[in-house]
Amino acid sequence: MSEIDMSVIKPEMMKPYIWLQTSDGSIQQVEQEIAMFCPFICQEIIQKGTGSSKNCAICLPEKVSPAMLSLVLDYCRFHQVPGRSNKERKSHDEKFIRMDTKRLCDLTSAADSLQLRPLVDLTSRTLARIIEGKSPEEIREIFHLPDDLTEEEKLEPLKNTTDDPRIRLLNRLYAKKRKELKERGRLKNVELEEEHVDERSVDDLLSFINGNDGDSKGSKTSKNKKKNRRKKEQKKNSTLTEASEVKKELSGHSAVSDKIAGTSNMYTEDDTFSHKEFDDDEDVDDEIDPALQAKIDRHICSESRLLQRIVGLPQFTAATTATAEGGSQADGVAPNPTTAILFRYSALLTTYDDDN
Amino acid sequence: MDDFSGPDLISDLPQSIIETILIQLPIRDAVRTSILSRKWRYKWSTITQLVFDEKCYPNCHDREAVQKNVVEFITRLLFLHQGPIHKFQIVNTSLQNCSAINQWILFLSRNDIKDLDLELAEGGEFFRMPSCFFGCEKLTRLELSRCELDPPVSFKGFSCLKSLNLHQVLISPEAIESLISSCPLLESLSLSYFDCLALTVCAPNLKYLCLEGEFKEICLVDTPLLVELSVAMYMTDDVAEHMEQSSTCNFVKFLGGNDLGRLAIMYNNLETIEMYQVSFEDMKEILVVLRLITSSPNLKELHISGSSNISAATYAAGFEFWEKECPSDSILSQLKVVKLTEMSGVPHEIEFIKFLLGCSPALETMSIIPSMYDLECQLKMLVELMKFRRASTKAEIYFIRGD
Repeated sequence: MSEIDMSVIKPEMMKPYIWLQTSDGSIQQVEQEIAMFCPFICQEIIQKGTGSSKNCAICLPEKVSPAMLSLVLDYCRFHQVPGRSNKERKSHDEKFIRMDTKRLCDLTSAADSLQLRPLVDLTSRTLARIIEGKSPEEIREIFHLPDDLTEEEKLEPLKNTTDDPRIRLLNRLYAKKRKELKERGRLKNVELEEEHVDERSVDDLLSFINGNDGDSKGSKTSKNKKKNRRKKEQKKNSTLTEASEVKKELSGHSAVSDKIAGTSNMYTEDDTFSHKEFDDDEDVDDEIDPALQAKIDRHICSESRLLQRIVGLPQFTAATTATAEGGSQADGVAPNPTTAILFRYSALLTTYDDDN
Repeated sequence: MDDFSGPDLISDLPQSIIETILIQLPIRDAVRTSILSRKWRYKWSTITQLVFDEKCYPNCHDREAVQKNVVEFITRLLFLHQGPIHKFQIVNTSLQNCSAINQWILFLSRNDIKDLDLELAEGGEFFRMPSCFFGCEKLTRLELSRCELDPPVSFKGFSCLKSLNLHQVLISPEAIESLISSCPLLESLSLSYFDCLALTVCAPNLKYLCLEGEFKEICLVDTPLLVELSVAMYMTDDVAEHMEQSSTCNFVKFLGGNDLGRLAIMYNNLETIEMYQVSFEDMKEILVVLRLITSSPNLKELHISGSSNISAATYAAGFEFWEKECPSDSILSQLKVVKLTEMSGVPHEIEFIKFLLGCSPALETMSIIPSMYDLECQLKMLVELMKFRRASTKAEIYFIRGD
């Protein structure tokens, strides 16, 4: 670079010193040969003709303070000498780069604004070495980064892109806490929106589509019964695993209410797909209108203690299993809400035990 | 935890610098920066170089779990990534062929990939590059290992490709030839573990050529800018039986054409020649080597390894050939380093060494490594070597025995 540029420069500009003005306004004199190592300064001299006297000193970018300028010039002073071997340059760089982190960052900034690519590469390599292998807390401490991700943002899983077991455990705990928060939130809401995976197979969907084409309500109902039961079983199982995990984290009493909450939510939520198509034909097991459903939800918390006691009685398990799995509500009679919950909860327990 | 013990040092650096820093971190560390602070959440997601090496592998002995973990990691990372990806490398890993790779290639082909390096590990079939791969128009560097390439008929080549390195890749001879000739900017070509029988290399800009494998013949057509050449042609025994020549390799057509006259072009830029498995009992092979050497006036380094398949013939004919082909005025004025390995001491090898010593005034070192252990034979060879005239006063000859 330098040779070609040198030949273009007019003789009167070949003074040995040029003038540079740093960010604080102070002007200093620097050997031209050394300063020309920086492309920015080179450009300023050639294109704008500045720097030849104190009056028209080259204005350096604001990131270049006097301290930084002297560091940059030290670097240039060493490297602009052509005769040095690679080994020498490398060992010089290793010593040169030993400084505290703040100076390192400032130097990176200064070198970048002066377009001195080799120095930028050196400093960024060093910064990368500092960051590598450290935990987020350590990195934040070194660089004074604010820990300002909100709880919510932290709760969003890190997409499993890290392998750090601490972070994974943290994410798991956060995820469970988040679910718990959400479920508590749901208890208060009548409207339930939750996305969940539509686990129906293609066959299910096809028969659903076919079943929608002008069949009688009764047969529709029975087909839907099967589908919904299958759907429910799947949802049941997924909620169960969630519930069981949550249980491990939280103590007994609230765990029970969570399970129940989970159950009720399971039966009251519909994915939008079935909602649209089934306006008239609600979920079979829920031949309960929404108002009643809301009533059930509100009952949940108060019923939890009652249910805890009931759980211990064996006769409920056997009887209610048959009822629940038979899907016997086709007769249109809405059972007593509390009993309905009891039935379902016991059935749930049975299934849970089976799964266990 | 008081993090405000000073102003933020690093987050306000220009994105180009942040990217330079992140690129130099192992990929997992780079992604981990997303939880440092609000500003850092997505800084990693625009980096243009993704390198997955042994550092991104979890420490676990269950191979399947590791494979699953890594595949999932890469897939999810690509999902979160924004912007172009210029470099994508999977190297030094034990990643095996799996269906997810197809999706990665598709994603990369839509994101201006320039440098693709896919080295799969042993186990499983070779990965068949999907057809979307051939639409990567900006590709400048390609390195594949354990893959299968089957270009569609409509494929017109990679117009920007400069470097091609195929190691253990299944590709038909016609396909590889047309691939080479349809990449006008190709400068570096390396084919190893190859088992195609015949190959014609036609690449006007080619500078670095490395061929290693079971070739029947190689033909260099139109490669005037060659700077470095390394050829190792191995032949399995059963193929050799069907050959007319008794030699184990066929260099005859190497430099183009059947005509054994002087070469039309000079390889003025050729500085390094490495040739392995040259049989010094086959006149034609020796001729090819000689002509290549004499057509490279700027040759600096020469490595020749002899053929290990010789039957220790002591009878040899055709010594007049040396005077004919190597006029005494041929000078290798830049030749500095010569390395001869697997030398078995056959007469033509000796003549070859004589020729080299006699016409290389700038020679600095010559290393000779004999292949035979018998001390008598070694001594005989040494005695012969001692006689030769050396054109270079600086030449040091190392006769390396043992091992």
